[in-house]
This record gives sequence, C-alpha cells and structure tokens, in this order.
Amino acid sequence: MSIRSSIEALIRPTTVASAHCDLPCGIYDPAQARIEAESVKAIQTRYQDADNFKGAQTVEEYRTRALAIKELRADMVKEHLWVLWTDYFTPAHLEKYPTLHDTFWKATKLAGAAKKSQDPAQGQQLLDAIKEIDTIFWETKKA
Amino acid sequence: MRTQVMALAAAAAACLAIPAWRLGRLLMRVEVAGDSMSPGLLPGDFLLLRRGAPARDAAYGHVVITDDPRPEGAGRVLLKRIVGLPGEALRVGGGVQVNGRRLIEPYAHGDDPVSQHRGVHRLDDDTYFLLGDHRAASTDSRDFGPVPRDRITGTVLLRYWPPERIGRVLPPPRRFLGPAEPQEGGLHGGHAHAAPVGDPGSS
Repeated sequence: MSIRSSIEALIRPTTVASAHCDLPCGIYDPAQARIEAESVKAIQTRYQDADNFKGAQTVEEYRTRALAIKELRADMVKEHLWVLWTDYFTPAHLEKYPTLHDTFWKATKLAGAAKKSQDPAQGQQLLDAIKEIDTIFWETKKA
Repeated sequence: MRTQVMALAAAAAACLAIPAWRLGRLLMRVEVAGDSMSPGLLPGDFLLLRRGAPARDAAYGHVVITDDPRPEGAGRVLLKRIVGLPGEALRVGGGVQVNGRRLIEPYAHGDDPVSQHRGVHRLDDDTYFLLGDHRAASTDSRDFGPVPRDRITGTVLLRYWPPERIGRVLPPPRRFLGPAEPQEGGLHGGHAHAAPVGDPGSS
C-alpha cells in the first residue's frame, strides 16, 4: 500500500454523500448512436445496389431518397454522440481516458463524412468509432 | 496552491483549537459519491462541512447535504447546491429563471432532460430548491421538490482530499442576465429571507 493510499484510508470519512442520479444517468446508451450508424451503413450498401432495385420508383428516385434518409440518420448519430460527450462523460472520466475528446471528435467527424460518402466501408469506420466509445462507456459503468 | 495550503492549515488550526468533544458537534466529514456535482466536486472527494444550513441571508450557491426525502432513498445523504431561495418563483428547464430572470450559473452544465423541467409558483418560507451542477444527471428538487431548511444537515466548507485539489468550496456570487429589478415593491416584497435579485453581493 502506498503512502498516499494509507493517508487516504486514515482520513476517509465514514459518511458518504450521494451526488447521484436516479433516472437520467440510466438512459444514456451508445446503442442509440450505433443503431443510427447501422442505418447509415445499410443505406450506403443499398445505394451501391440501387441498379438492382425493382419497384415503383426509378433508380434515380431511389438513390435520392436514400441520400435524404442517410442525411437525417447521420445527424442523429451526431446528436446521440454529443449528448453522451457533453452530458454523460465528466472530467473524472477524461482523466481516466485522456483520448476521450479525440475519440468523440473523430466519431462525430465520421458521422459528418457519412453524409457525403456512399461507401459502406466508410459506414463501417463510423461503427468502429462508436464501438470504441461504447467500450469506454461500459467500462465507466462498471467503475 | 498557496491558497489551498492556507485553507487546509486554517481548517487544521480550527480543529486543534476546538476541543475534540465539541468538534463533532460543529463539523462533519463526507465522501462524495456520484457525478451530479461535477466538475466542482468529484467522486472520491473528501469534504469538511459545518453542521446545519447556511445563514438565511447568504444561502444561495452553498453546497449542502440533506437526507433523501423519498421513501426509496431512506438512509441516503444527498449532496446538492442551493439554487432557489424562500419566496422565489422558479422555472427550471434549459437554465434556471428566478422571478422571470435568467440566473447565470457558471457551475452548471448539461441539458436538463425535458422530464425534469419544472415550474415552481413560489417557494415557501424556509424552503430551498436544490439542484445538482450536472443538470443532465442529477436527482434533486426537480424530482423530490423543495427542501425545508431544517432538513439541511450540513454546509460544505472545503475539500481536504485529494491533496492536489485541496481548497475552500465557496458559493458563487449570484448574477442574472439583464438589468437588476427594483428591490422594493418588486417580486421579492415581503420576503425577508430572499436575496435581492440582481445583487451580486447578496451571497
């Protein structure tokens, strides 16, 4: 046991004061961002396969709708990530995960890039970035 | 750093100057659990408190402890900040409005969930509205209502652990957006304990 932890144990109060949260803390979940990102990737895939589309719409109409929906879904990814970034994570988390800001910045940039990209590989990069955040998130929940 | 050392030294001197049997009646210590008072107070911080509520005419902004008033929270001690004062009308959601004026809260962060937006017609005498600084992640007066003064059991004075963040925990000055309202004949008339709106020195 280090000197610091010995002192800490010696002066630790016996009463715990809860700066706690019953409900709102429990509703955060990176799964919201992941689900929207999966939609983005699925739309990118369908855009690539649009030539094989058979339906009432023309291929051009189909692709136009795909782009419009992807635009919305990518914005929702950003929204969910921002809520996690600014509301859930705290300075204490940042101390433990010093790359947290950079991780979120890259993920939200990828969500922005997804609006312009019709490549499913790009969508997968976005999902990978969200997975990284998801891992950190659930580690903080265990702490 | 010098301020921190002086604060700790003053606390230690105060403790030494008071007989041990009286110390426990005047002061108490708690450990912070949870994130709702971040970034000012973090989980694992050790705090020194004066027992009882802060002075009536300077209550705003103090971080205090109170027993959780809800049956499901029996036995739990809560740590929150006094934001609303007796006699005030509050509107909480997307910030705090006191008697129709937006309170400037440099200590607060995070968006209040819509489910926690509240309008309080007027706080009763000797009751306070307590909020966590992390508005997106706090269970406080938005959920369990205003807290009577006699249920506030301690007022935070300083943080004595961890050593790199030792220091006094001071209430911020109370400031509002926009010009000050007249103090007589205004919304605070007749409420002796309410701090004058717009007076930065009121706390």
